[in-house]
Amino acid sequence: MSHWRYPADGSIVEVDGLSLGGRLGVIGPNGAGKTTLLRLIAGTLGDGEPAGTYLPQRPHMFRGSVRLNLSIGLATEEVHRAMQLFDRFGLDREMLDAPAVSLSGGERQRVALARALARPASPVLLDEPLTAFAAADRPEACRVISEGIGERDAVIIAHDLVELAMLADRLAVLIDGRVRQSGALAEVLAGPADQDVASLMGVSNVVDGTVMTTDDGLLELAVGARAVLGMGSGAPGDRGRALFAAESVAVHPGGVDEEGSPRNHWPGIITDLRDRGRLVEVFVDVGFPVIALVTRGSADALGLASGESVELSVKATAIRIVGM
Amino acid sequence: MSFLGDVLREAFSALVGFGPELREVVGLTLVVSSLSTTIGCLLGIPLGVAVALGRFPGRAALRVLIGIGMGIPPVLVGLVLLLLLWRTGPFGGLGLTFTPAAMVVAQVVLATPVAAGVTLGSVEALPETAREQLAALGLSFPQASRLAILESRAGVVSAVVAAFGRVIAEVGAVLVVGGNILGETRVLTTLIVQESRQGRFGFALAAGFVLLVISLVANVGFDRLRRRP
Repeated sequence: MSHWRYPADGSIVEVDGLSLGGRLGVIGPNGAGKTTLLRLIAGTLGDGEPAGTYLPQRPHMFRGSVRLNLSIGLATEEVHRAMQLFDRFGLDREMLDAPAVSLSGGERQRVALARALARPASPVLLDEPLTAFAAADRPEACRVISEGIGERDAVIIAHDLVELAMLADRLAVLIDGRVRQSGALAEVLAGPADQDVASLMGVSNVVDGTVMTTDDGLLELAVGARAVLGMGSGAPGDRGRALFAAESVAVHPGGVDEEGSPRNHWPGIITDLRDRGRLVEVFVDVGFPVIALVTRGSADALGLASGESVELSVKATAIRIVGM
Repeated sequence: MSFLGDVLREAFSALVGFGPELREVVGLTLVVSSLSTTIGCLLGIPLGVAVALGRFPGRAALRVLIGIGMGIPPVLVGLVLLLLLWRTGPFGGLGLTFTPAAMVVAQVVLATPVAAGVTLGSVEALPETAREQLAALGLSFPQASRLAILESRAGVVSAVVAAFGRVIAEVGAVLVVGGNILGETRVLTTLIVQESRQGRFGFALAAGFVLLVISLVANVGFDRLRRRP
């Protein structure tokens, strides 16, 4: 099955252009066809055979206890796994004997997520798995989901790019039923294929590193010889990923004299300038590639040009760091 | 005394007396209708679930066949079955003409599409989320069917009610294949035909009343089943 045409309005969702393998995050505006895409892969739509293990966006609880629902279709060993996930998703074992229909929306989703992850099938197909969790619980939930996926291939839909960054290595951008762009997460973020993709991203800088120290939500991520300070969660030694928007990067030619509030100061060399209408994208190598967005006016005033030395500054509050 | 008064009095005394003739007919009615409802549901309910959930070629054709079967005239089913079972027909060797077994077969043919059709409708009426979840769980067909039946239980009980209703009210097919032989193949509905034709209206009315009581008891039972948590 390469595409699906909606009978109502003839609109199409294509699977073509999407290569499965690894952990693929799918992002796109509402109505882009993300769920349809996942259903096509899962085989619950169209004439394909059911494949993989699939968490629908609105999981259904069947008549009967939570325990029954948690273990539907699972072998004994898998039920054990589902139970461990159930615990780790912060669900209370006392609710196991309650009727499943009495659960809240978020609880239902967590039960269904535990069940879906406990099945050994591959690929793992998750439609907005994080909406079941409160914002504060999401980093931990991501860790559990990530472990649950293990070495299997996965396709994960999310609205929030930052959350997707915790779960996926590759990214596909779906717009109007078609894969507009796909590739490694950092690649897509750094080089949006067009304006639609770019505006969907919001963040254009992704830097991978190792979490060094943490202090009250402020994390230090070691990236080579440099340190990136940002907000987020993670434990020292974890792999971490910093995400920040090009708009939040300030460019100073010839260094910063005064001590301001930004905690991140990175000297580097401009590698490229790209015209974005009234704005200019400044590509800077500071040991890792960073994109800064400045107005045309300030780019001219500052005399920014390829090969020039500059110093970049970014407030730690503008950088989200996610543990992986 | 008026005509209707006479009929009612006669019916009343037949019910009070509940003689061997009526007893025998009631007994056979219960056996034939419960047996054919049971077999019809055992065949029809899984068939309905399969057509609702399954993905196999011929599904659309089956759906149409079920629809036709739900409305097929019983007397036609009786005729075709009689031809098949006729002494010199293809299944004549079984010697089933004018036996209760032939009546059960005829009624199974009538009950199965009804059970299947109502089940099909109620499983298809499950919310889209439930149907998608069923598909997403990678279940075997028996597992998925069990869940689908439990989930649309009220509808499946309605399938049993409808199948039973089709069978208990039926006269054409059992008349043709059974022959309405007293003491052998006479049931309440064919008795009513026979007696009213002979002008024994009171007895016919008594049989009709018993039929209603059977239906009442059965439906109260079905309703309990439907409401069980």
